[in-house]
Amino acid sequence: MVEMINGAVDVEFQGVTKRFGDIRAVDNIDLEVSSGAFVSLLGPSGCGKTTSLRLIAGFEQPSAGDVRIGGASVVGVPPYKRPINMVFQNYSLFPHFTVADNIGFGLRQLKPRLSKSEITARVGEMLELVRLQGFEERRTWELSGGQQQRVALARALINRPTVLLLDEPLAALDRKLRQDMQIELQTLQRDVGITFVLVTHDQEEALSMSDTIYLMNEGRIIQMGGARDLYDEPINRYVADFVGKTNFFDGEVAEIKPNGAAIRLANGRVLYGRNPRGGVPLNRNAGGAIAVRPELIHIVKANGSACLTTDVQTTARVKNRIFLGEQTEYLVMAEGFGDILVLASKHAETVSGGFSPGDVVSIGWEDSSALALENTSKGDHSTAVPVPK
Amino acid sequence: MSRKNDDTAPISAKKFMDELWRYKQGSVSRRHFLSVTGLGMATAAMAGAMPMLAVSRSAYAGSIGDRVSMATWPNYFNPANFETFKKDFGAEVQVSVFGSNEEMLAKLQAGGTGWDVFVPTNYTISTYVELDLIQPLDLSRLPNFAEKYYTKRFIEPGTVDGKVYAVPKNWGTTGFVLNRKKVTSNPTTWKEFWDLSKTSATGRVMVHDYQLTTIGNALKYFGYSFNSVDPKELADAEKLLLDVKPHLFAINSDYQPSMRSGDAWMSVAWTGDGLQLNRDIPEIDYVLGKEGGELWSDFYAIPKGAPHLDAAYAFINFLIDPEINAKEVSVHGYPVPDTRTTELLPKEMTQNPIMYPAKELLDALEFGAAVTLTDPLRAEIMARFKAA
Amino acid sequence: MLLLPTTLWFLLLLVMPLVVIAVYSLGERAPAGGYQPALTLAQYANLLARLKAFTNTLTLAPLGTVICIVIAYPFAYYLAVKAGRGAKPFLLTLVIIPFWTSFLIRTYAWIYILGGQGIPRLLEMIGIEDYRLIYTPTAVLIGIVYGYLPLMVLPIYVSLEKLDKSLLEVSSDLGANPVRTFFQVTLPLSAPGLVTGSLLVFILLMGEYLIPALLGGGKVYFVGNALVDLFLQSRNWPFGSAVAITLVGIMLAAITLYLTLVGRDRGRQDVSVL
Repeated sequence: MVEMINGAVDVEFQGVTKRFGDIRAVDNIDLEVSSGAFVSLLGPSGCGKTTSLRLIAGFEQPSAGDVRIGGASVVGVPPYKRPINMVFQNYSLFPHFTVADNIGFGLRQLKPRLSKSEITARVGEMLELVRLQGFEERRTWELSGGQQQRVALARALINRPTVLLLDEPLAALDRKLRQDMQIELQTLQRDVGITFVLVTHDQEEALSMSDTIYLMNEGRIIQMGGARDLYDEPINRYVADFVGKTNFFDGEVAEIKPNGAAIRLANGRVLYGRNPRGGVPLNRNAGGAIAVRPELIHIVKANGSACLTTDVQTTARVKNRIFLGEQTEYLVMAEGFGDILVLASKHAETVSGGFSPGDVVSIGWEDSSALALENTSKGDHSTAVPVPK
Repeated sequence: MSRKNDDTAPISAKKFMDELWRYKQGSVSRRHFLSVTGLGMATAAMAGAMPMLAVSRSAYAGSIGDRVSMATWPNYFNPANFETFKKDFGAEVQVSVFGSNEEMLAKLQAGGTGWDVFVPTNYTISTYVELDLIQPLDLSRLPNFAEKYYTKRFIEPGTVDGKVYAVPKNWGTTGFVLNRKKVTSNPTTWKEFWDLSKTSATGRVMVHDYQLTTIGNALKYFGYSFNSVDPKELADAEKLLLDVKPHLFAINSDYQPSMRSGDAWMSVAWTGDGLQLNRDIPEIDYVLGKEGGELWSDFYAIPKGAPHLDAAYAFINFLIDPEINAKEVSVHGYPVPDTRTTELLPKEMTQNPIMYPAKELLDALEFGAAVTLTDPLRAEIMARFKAA
Repeated sequence: MLLLPTTLWFLLLLVMPLVVIAVYSLGERAPAGGYQPALTLAQYANLLARLKAFTNTLTLAPLGTVICIVIAYPFAYYLAVKAGRGAKPFLLTLVIIPFWTSFLIRTYAWIYILGGQGIPRLLEMIGIEDYRLIYTPTAVLIGIVYGYLPLMVLPIYVSLEKLDKSLLEVSSDLGANPVRTFFQVTLPLSAPGLVTGSLLVFILLMGEYLIPALLGGGKVYFVGNALVDLFLQSRNWPFGSAVAITLVGIMLAAITLYLTLVGRDRGRQDVSVL
């Protein structure tokens, strides 16, 4: 097992840029992965996350900047000399090898050569780790997707890399299996104590598994932080939009407050929101948006017995209702606000008795639940400040 | 056009194309084995592709059919005459060219050739009759054939048991070509030919891929008959051939390219090739061995079961028309036994000693004998010689 | 049921001719050539008379195949793995273009290139005198490699093209340098193409007669040439059939041996050669 050294940094990008022709796939990125962390690179396709991963693995070399592993620059070092292994998208198992030979591949490359018995023993350990005992002699195409996934994991882990890279490892699995594997990966990471860097386009996956998430767009890092940071404190509209569901109310900054701002909507209504931690204060008269998560919006029957006491209140008409099991999602239309998404908990539903399309309701939220955000949808490097923990 | 300058130059695009074109026309030497491989098809395709042949239809069209198929030897016909035939008779000439009489016989024995006319050599005709592969000719349908104009010895092989099976096409001799700039001694005999092959001309001599001439001329080394099938005499010939083999440049009936390029200095050769080589490269001479050797004559004949019989007769009659025949000779360069045709030939030809050798040289020559065609020992010796 | 016609065709087209030849090989040559029935092994007893043809074929066919592999593999590799998007179709076309012309014409062109006015003449210019190429085993080998190279390149190319390139990255990622990656991943995974190409070239070469006839000048004699001579010149069908049956036997044995070796090699798990 790799010793966890507190505070040690396994992977570091210093102003790394990767150009393919005219395209900057990665644009002047700084990044730090500390030892033993589970880090996700999150973003839509084309955001530069996979290129970043390939820069760590050594399949790509930076056009500018420095890539450091364990404190030493690895620019120009080929993949086979890096203490890093990768789980490839679609697993890329060797079709001409058995499961055991796939897993043992990395060991067979070591110099000095390991004895056959040692290889067998360590392959056995790995099979146990990924719960595939007895599959040694199977052919890879005889395995299910989840089993292939675990072989790929074992194969990448057997050389005890400093960092394990995972490129969309769950994308090919069905939903149920994906959720199981998420837990399994987390457990595994804790067990082996190896630094994991995961690339995914699935925010839910990133949020549920990783300690630290780098949200990327157009080759840049937009925001870095823990799952809660990104969800609760998105620094701009782009992040709030990408991570989870959010209602946005666009307008103009009417007033700057010590910890927030007031934004005047088109209908003249002024809404307040607080600044996200690590966000940039808004400028007066510039564009801005108030963002409110749907689960922070209360919903009650209009003129009913239950009365709203929230800072913001309005009446609305229910347009649509989606039953999600533990929650119910309403799409309501409020005059002057437009469509608003509201999530009602099971508990609230029991109290209110639920609503049907056409019902007139009162909705409302506290000012403290609302964020005043920059209206940018693009990432700007200057805003990618780590959120203080 | 002076070829001499070209011959010392390395690969040039023009020479290369010349070679290929020559090949495409099928004008590689007579009995060139290449024909087995589909060269005949190339020639036929070319004849078919001639634009002048395209549409013209004469009054005769339909009466003899639209095609006539001929099996012959490479470099042995004048494509312009085929054009004329198509124009006048409406039948397109399809040609297959062959490498040896053995091969032609093998095809006919196998059956289904579809040939209307073929060109057997004198010594093979009796075998074709025996095997019932050839039909007697109705001379009334060949008005251009008149015995009185023909040299008797060249008509005779076409008649078997009193029936005429074939009419003469042309005749020729088998001697050897030599490059006098490279071979400075003056060989005049087959003995000298074979001895030179093993000594000063080692690696520079070619013999035919053809049992009749190669074995026949090896027999001549010992003074035996060209046609011998005597096992003891053939054993001597085989020993000589096996002795010579390591010294040979090639066993190949297509000797013109190698003679022209200077790779080969001597080769067993036929009249027409000798004439063509000498015409283009004067230092290449054609010599008849003093001991003798082969005199041969080729014939037009119709195989049993020819699918276009009318066309076959019309075509043969057309080809032995003296004027047409003279045009044939102008291309292939072999003498014809028909005085009417010879009279139409230019003096350069009729007085050329390669085409018309001196009488004493001719007298020593023998016609090939029928037995050589089917003799299994000769065939096997040739095969062993090649396989050695 | 539907398979029945297929089986019939198979028997008719593939097995029947072989049976006919086998029967012929036990017969005798008719006096004027051809076949007459008999039951004798005399033709087989005479096989040694063609020993040289067999040894020539059995040396030059495998040698030609190996040279084809050695030249074709790097080319196919470049084509499938390294060549840019623009260069690939161009290079592929170059491989295929020769097929547009008759094989005969192309081989005939080599007579000229290898002849006295061709390469030897160019060699003279740089001082190498009297170098003989045409009508030598080397000429035959050159013709063979030239003629059969595309047949080797294409199957190897196809198998390399199908090869999942990420497997090469996996190998590199797991610590294998490019050489080890080649022998552990690329080569075993392109083996099907290599085997197909080798068999294709080898089988055709065993029956080859055109190239030795044209470029060997009758001096480099293959079994194919012996067959042509026996059937078309001596018209000794029984002996020809015996030679043909023997050739088929040798080919079957060679192919079986080859496939067994390849199979064993592929079955072995650690194919690391280094």
